[in-house]
Amino acid sequence: MSSPLRTVLRFQESGLILVILALGALLYGFSGTVRTPVFEQGPDGSRQRVFVTDASGERVPAFVEKNKFLNAQNLAQLAKDTSFIAIMAVGMAFVIISGGIDLSVGSTYALASVLGALALHHFGPEGPGADSGTLGIVVGAGVCLGTAALCGLANGGLIVTLGVHPFIITLGSMAILRGIAFVATKGQSVGGFPQGFRDLVRLEAGQGLSLVPLLVMILVTVVGWIILARLAAGRRVYAVGGNELASRFSGIRVARVKLGVYLISGIAAGIAALLSLGYYGAATSGDGQGYELNVIAAAVVGGASLAGGRGSALGVVLGALIIQMINSGIVILGIDQNYSQIIIGAVVIAAVVLDNFNTWLGKRRMGKG
Amino acid sequence: MSAFLEFHRIGKRFPGVQALDDVSFSIERGSCHALIGENGAGKSTLGKILAGIYQPDAGEIRLEGRAIAPASPLEARQLGIAMVHQELAFCPNLSVAENLCLGDLPRGRAGWVDRPALRARARTMLAAVGADLDPDRLIGSLTTGLEQLVQIAAAVGTGARLIVMDEPSSSLSAGETRELFRLVRELRDRGITLVYVSHRMEELFALCDTITVLRDGRHVATERIAETRPQRVVSQMIGRELRVQTPVHLTREPGAVQLSVRGLGSPGVFSGIDLDLRAGEIVGLAGLVGAGRSETLQAIFGLDPHATGEIRVKGQPLPVGSVTAALHARLGLVPEDRKRQGLVLGLSCRENTTLAALPGLTRFGWVHRRRERTLAQHYATQLRVKTPTIETIIGGLSGGNQQKVALAKWLARDCDVLLVDEPTRGVDVGAKAEIYPLLDELACQGKAILVVSSELPELIGLCRRILVMRAGRLVGEVPHTAATEATLMRLMAGVVEEERPARDGLE
Repeated sequence: MSSPLRTVLRFQESGLILVILALGALLYGFSGTVRTPVFEQGPDGSRQRVFVTDASGERVPAFVEKNKFLNAQNLAQLAKDTSFIAIMAVGMAFVIISGGIDLSVGSTYALASVLGALALHHFGPEGPGADSGTLGIVVGAGVCLGTAALCGLANGGLIVTLGVHPFIITLGSMAILRGIAFVATKGQSVGGFPQGFRDLVRLEAGQGLSLVPLLVMILVTVVGWIILARLAAGRRVYAVGGNELASRFSGIRVARVKLGVYLISGIAAGIAALLSLGYYGAATSGDGQGYELNVIAAAVVGGASLAGGRGSALGVVLGALIIQMINSGIVILGIDQNYSQIIIGAVVIAAVVLDNFNTWLGKRRMGKG
Repeated sequence: MSAFLEFHRIGKRFPGVQALDDVSFSIERGSCHALIGENGAGKSTLGKILAGIYQPDAGEIRLEGRAIAPASPLEARQLGIAMVHQELAFCPNLSVAENLCLGDLPRGRAGWVDRPALRARARTMLAAVGADLDPDRLIGSLTTGLEQLVQIAAAVGTGARLIVMDEPSSSLSAGETRELFRLVRELRDRGITLVYVSHRMEELFALCDTITVLRDGRHVATERIAETRPQRVVSQMIGRELRVQTPVHLTREPGAVQLSVRGLGSPGVFSGIDLDLRAGEIVGLAGLVGAGRSETLQAIFGLDPHATGEIRVKGQPLPVGSVTAALHARLGLVPEDRKRQGLVLGLSCRENTTLAALPGLTRFGWVHRRRERTLAQHYATQLRVKTPTIETIIGGLSGGNQQKVALAKWLARDCDVLLVDEPTRGVDVGAKAEIYPLLDELACQGKAILVVSSELPELIGLCRRILVMRAGRLVGEVPHTAATEATLMRLMAGVVEEERPARDGLE
């Protein structure tokens, strides 16, 4: 094997990239084509249908054949959908690498969404604070992110002080937080946000590609990668997940590390919630239902080990992309939507089995070398 | 006596290692046969082949002249071969009786477990090894020594004629070890053949009739104990002569008091600990298992939140119960159980070395990677850690090399006071011979070192003075010149009246 190839193969995430390419090829091959009308920019800047003259001399609307998967619109949609899950998955990576689990991300997302929405509504066109301009947006965003951070701190604080397994604590907070979101909104949808906020988040770069969620995702990934791979704080997360007792014996303040990872997971859910407020323009207490499945699935598929001590920020983002490609593939291939949970669940189990197999192979190889 | 069991050209290969290579020797009926070798020499593998856990790739085992090939522990049992493991072999959540009869629970009508019959059978099995133990106790509530006794009861009770014991004394207290030896002799006198795997030389010489030495998977020698000497066995094990040196630090005057402990105690564990530790000296802390030695070290290091008392480092008071404060005062603790307490096995050699030193390697939270690598490489070289690279995951290294990294972690942190708990537990002879001079060298550099060890020769050979703990209290201090195993043992066990020969303490 040549050495550059070996370097590429040694690269931790190369397996995930291969899976993504294979999935992409599969979706491209099996998705078939769709006829979409062609638009052009009119002289006044409006979108107009393009007409052509057909064989019999009539003016008919023009259509193009596009691959259902590989077209700009679908890819833009995929990028946006991935962004939300990926941002939360980076937060989840911290928790999982530290040896914990956060089941409450979906509920944190919902509570941050509705409280943020209530604040933004206050400053929206129909609210009492309609004239506050940028200040209103900042306060709304602050409420959204602050709520999420508090949720994370509450999780971490309870886990550290009560010494109860994070599964139990976050299972409880998953129900509690969603309950608070429901009570706060009486189950109603909250909308009517300042237009400036919505415009900012919906900023597009042609073909419906939303830039903001994508950029935020990249930013979150880079920050997550820096903390985990380059900062002492990240090293402590791996150490605590790998061996909590040895970490304590090395003078690492384990409680602080744990508090930190749940705080990060909460904030990540808050960032995703804030983006969704801007993107969809409304929030209900039912938002983010089942996100914990997708987010944990993304982290696990992306190579984070539930035993703790293993995983990376880039890995989980690629994991999120794989999960979203499968979700999107289900739509494109015309498979009944109801099957999506079954498929995602199976993928998670398959990923873990594959990972175990890979570890086993690695051990064999190490033994021989 | 005839050859009861014969190994004929046994070979066993694991991916990457030839664990056993062309091993042939025989074991006599009714003897206690020692199997010794460094870690990785293949002694445990051979024991496991006998017990049906592994199957050999080559060669033949002959039991009373007939070739056998036990394919599972159950088949070995049926041939009359049983194994006593060094690790947990039982379900801790079940009772002694349930564990003893797990393979064959007595059933009453309708398939219900017949509890009275279960208890009666367990009592008979326990009585056969002289154990007076309530069969309803949970295995998890037993000490290691008692649990081992139950394992032996299980072996004897199922009619074993050959019992393989893998490092049976490695986690026993001195008293429990004495009991074990008594039982081993009794079993041998009953005609049971024993294969005793260990690397504790004194034990083998006190207990066994014949000894087989393995090195790197090969058979080196099988000799009668009476015809060999420990020094000879050691050189057979490591393939070279081992020189024993007097530590250099003993010839120098110790410096200023670095650590001063007054009235340190922890409710229900230990109390009234007073000790002083000077720069450049190695002080030993001896005691039986349960005397509170490790707990004392951990309390000094701030790991015991209930501890009370006064600790001063270089004259400055140290708040009790804070690891952070202990770290700032430049204390370091190499814990007893390196796999559980000392190392993060999934991380690399480099990451483990610098784990405690991170604050000194960071700037605004960023780890200075080049300095980190240099530091880790420095200690890997200095301590002669045998690893392909410093990026190798530490879980794959041998016990001795792991222990060196556990030590390097505190050297990288540049500690002035080192608390070292069992520096050579589970470490083979070759690595031991490297760790002792290393501790000596550190003392010569001016570090103050407090060593806890269950191996008295280790403390006697290494320390300027030895403090002895019994039942949570300091009961004496023995200077290097007066330290013998007998004097220490008497203090440890609280025996004052009778005069005993020196070796007796360990038997």
